[in-house]
Amino acid sequence: MRRAARAVLAAAVRGRRDQGGPWGEAVLTEFDQTSGRWEALRWTAGGLRAVWHERRTRDLPRGVRIRRAIAGTAVLGLLAAFVINQFALTARFMPSGSMEPTVPVAGRFLLDKVSFRVTGLDRGDIVEFSIPEAPVRHTIKRVIGLPGDTITCVEGQVYRDGTLLDEPYLTGGQQTDDCGAPVTVPAGELFVLGDHREVSQDSRHWGPIPQGSVDGRLLTTIWSVPGVG
Amino acid sequence: MPRTPHASPQTLRLFAALLTDPTRWRYGYDLSRETGLASGTLYPILMRLSGQHLLDTGWEPSDEPGRPPRHTYRLTADGLALAENRLAVASKAGGNAAAFIPRQA
Repeated sequence: MRRAARAVLAAAVRGRRDQGGPWGEAVLTEFDQTSGRWEALRWTAGGLRAVWHERRTRDLPRGVRIRRAIAGTAVLGLLAAFVINQFALTARFMPSGSMEPTVPVAGRFLLDKVSFRVTGLDRGDIVEFSIPEAPVRHTIKRVIGLPGDTITCVEGQVYRDGTLLDEPYLTGGQQTDDCGAPVTVPAGELFVLGDHREVSQDSRHWGPIPQGSVDGRLLTTIWSVPGVG
Repeated sequence: MPRTPHASPQTLRLFAALLTDPTRWRYGYDLSRETGLASGTLYPILMRLSGQHLLDTGWEPSDEPGRPPRHTYRLTADGLALAENRLAVASKAGGNAAAFIPRQA
């Protein structure tokens, strides 16, 4: 045990060199004065802290300092990017034309995964959620009805609680067909429709979707492939 | 108000130990035993004092042949004045330093 403790301390003091810093060497020499297993362990534990302290305060050559700062920044930056991408803000590819023209097919958009949890969702927001029929796949649609809203379609027009919706994001007099019977959105669910009403598969087909399946809100579209969509 | 440097209870204990015989060179292990400070507390304080020229350091060849030399410490004239000043202030302030009871090393 004592020999193992001394070996650990020596490794910390010297690393791959023959000789460590003066303070580390001092701590290492004094190790031989300790008696017993516990005192040796305590000395080693404190010695590690002392060595760390010495390394932190020593003056390194400028080149080494700069290289370490760059490496440290890169590692931290990558970590931060990973965490942000995973939990806060990410870029997505739009594989379908169901949100034309707001989000063109093959376009890209930024998905905000945090703010809707704070502010809640509103009518008109575009949300990403897992498809009820195939939960591993995700899609984006526009929120038309919140819990309590009654959604009706009459002659290709959408009404919320009996009021005709103004839908400037629809192109060229599109009709909203196949809504079926009027739907009142239950608590904890959302009624969603795609902007490309003629092709979109949405709450007209699935019924309202659970709010728990929403994983983000569209922040903005970003560049899309020129000439496509 | 900025904190007074070199006035922590641990530093005061080290000062007290070094002042018992200011001219003698002291070993790190003995100081640790005397003050009850663990090596991880003691050595950073020694480094700091030495860096500000309050502490002299030296290497003393070991008595036993074949052993590496030991590092030794002694207060400089500046360090001595500062240590006496800090201990006087602390005892005037009401024994805050005495209230610090270290674990036995």
